[in-house]
Amino acid sequence: MPQDVATLAVLPRGGVLALFVFGGVFLSLDYITSILGPMLEGAQMTVLLFLIAIITAIPLGFLLTLAVKSSFKPLSFLAQGYIYVMRGTPLLLQLLFICFGLPMLPVVGEYLVLDRFVAACLGFVLNYAAYFAEIFRGGLLAIDKGQYEASQVLGLNKWQTTTRIILPQMFRVALPAVANESVTLVKDTALLYAVAVPELLHYAQTAVNRDFTIVPFFVAGLIYLIMTLVLTVVFKVIERRFKFE
Amino acid sequence: MAIIEVSNLKKSFGDLEVLKKITFNVDKNDVVAVIGPSGSGKSTMLRSLVHLEEINGGSIKVAGDQLVKDGVYSKPQEVKRITSKMGMVFQHFNLFPHLTVKENLELPPKLVKNEPTSVIHQRSTELLKKIGLTDRANAYPANLSGGQKQRVAIARALMMNPEILLFDEPTSALDPELTGEVLKVMKDLAEEQMTMIVVTHEMGFAKEVANRVIFMDNGEIIESGHPSELFDNPRNERTKAFLNRV
Repeated sequence: MPQDVATLAVLPRGGVLALFVFGGVFLSLDYITSILGPMLEGAQMTVLLFLIAIITAIPLGFLLTLAVKSSFKPLSFLAQGYIYVMRGTPLLLQLLFICFGLPMLPVVGEYLVLDRFVAACLGFVLNYAAYFAEIFRGGLLAIDKGQYEASQVLGLNKWQTTTRIILPQMFRVALPAVANESVTLVKDTALLYAVAVPELLHYAQTAVNRDFTIVPFFVAGLIYLIMTLVLTVVFKVIERRFKFE
Repeated sequence: MAIIEVSNLKKSFGDLEVLKKITFNVDKNDVVAVIGPSGSGKSTMLRSLVHLEEINGGSIKVAGDQLVKDGVYSKPQEVKRITSKMGMVFQHFNLFPHLTVKENLELPPKLVKNEPTSVIHQRSTELLKKIGLTDRANAYPANLSGGQKQRVAIARALMMNPEILLFDEPTSALDPELTGEVLKVMKDLAEEQMTMIVVTHEMGFAKEVANRVIFMDNGEIIESGHPSELFDNPRNERTKAFLNRV
């Protein structure tokens, strides 16, 4: 379009490269470079939360699965109730509750004023543990009872059967679902925005408001895509390694 | 000399009486084929011997040790010790899919028996040779044929040095052309004087290899005897009817 060509021609020469024309806003490398610094800083926060959440929530989720399967009924009911509440209410509500609700509790409230990031981590871990617990429970259900019978007849005790025979198979079965949940976790970190912890989306939104351009949203989207791509590749490699074929 | 003594064994699933006062003995070096229609209680009887089913009454003695007397089991540790004298081969193999053939053979003795690794390794090498699967030692079960899987399952049971080997329809899940290789391994074991109880639909195997056949129907032992008597001269009407059908 002639108008666009004209606009391109009046761009400052200082090494600015016009990439796209979108909604009348130029996506220039200089501009992207200028917002990339703070956004990558925000992405660090995203990655940090992701790592803390996944490293803690997976073992916790597994313990929850064991609690659900426990023959000690009160423990089983407690775990089931926990999973029901955590999966049955929005994560955002849980985050808001931990950040802003806990300090308002009578008597104990004043001791429950947590650092926002710590509170957010807590919320993610508690919530995702419930999801992982359900994934692992599904993995256990998929294991044939013949595996338990063969182990028993061969003389393995319960601990050996669980750790050497059942769990490796359970993790293998659960792997695709764990991968899926992990990708969701990466994206859910954007909920930190709601409790004012500066992460990737926070910086993007700030830049959008300040510069009247939607370019930062695209950059943020791209960074999320790169993170989920890396994660997907990592899980594919793990899946291949544990293919047992 | 009886190595397994079963008397008045009773087992119910809810209201359904699956085993009604079963009594039989198995002598050392016997190869006993247990035949009968589906639902006659053959598998449940076999599974009761290794405590995969809890019986409701009767007694079981294995190699002189009382596993259960008049419906009361020995202490759990005793039960474990006594059942460890028996190995079991399942219809659906039940190999551990996350372990290679070699690991399937070596992991159980490594965990259960206090034997040096070199001894275990030597035994697994010998057994793999015996079942003709030396070249598949590092394969996963998913990459084996049904017949190969069942041969590995037999070798895995033998790794524990059992005195008695129980087979629960070992060829029923196999394509017909694959049953031969499994029956051949079983026949070799019989020739080596291994005591075996085989629940089977393979009448040919029962006739040729077993030295005693037990016919079960509706939770009872109807007739038992040498294959030549039982197959050629069945005394009971139900036995006759069954043999005519198969």
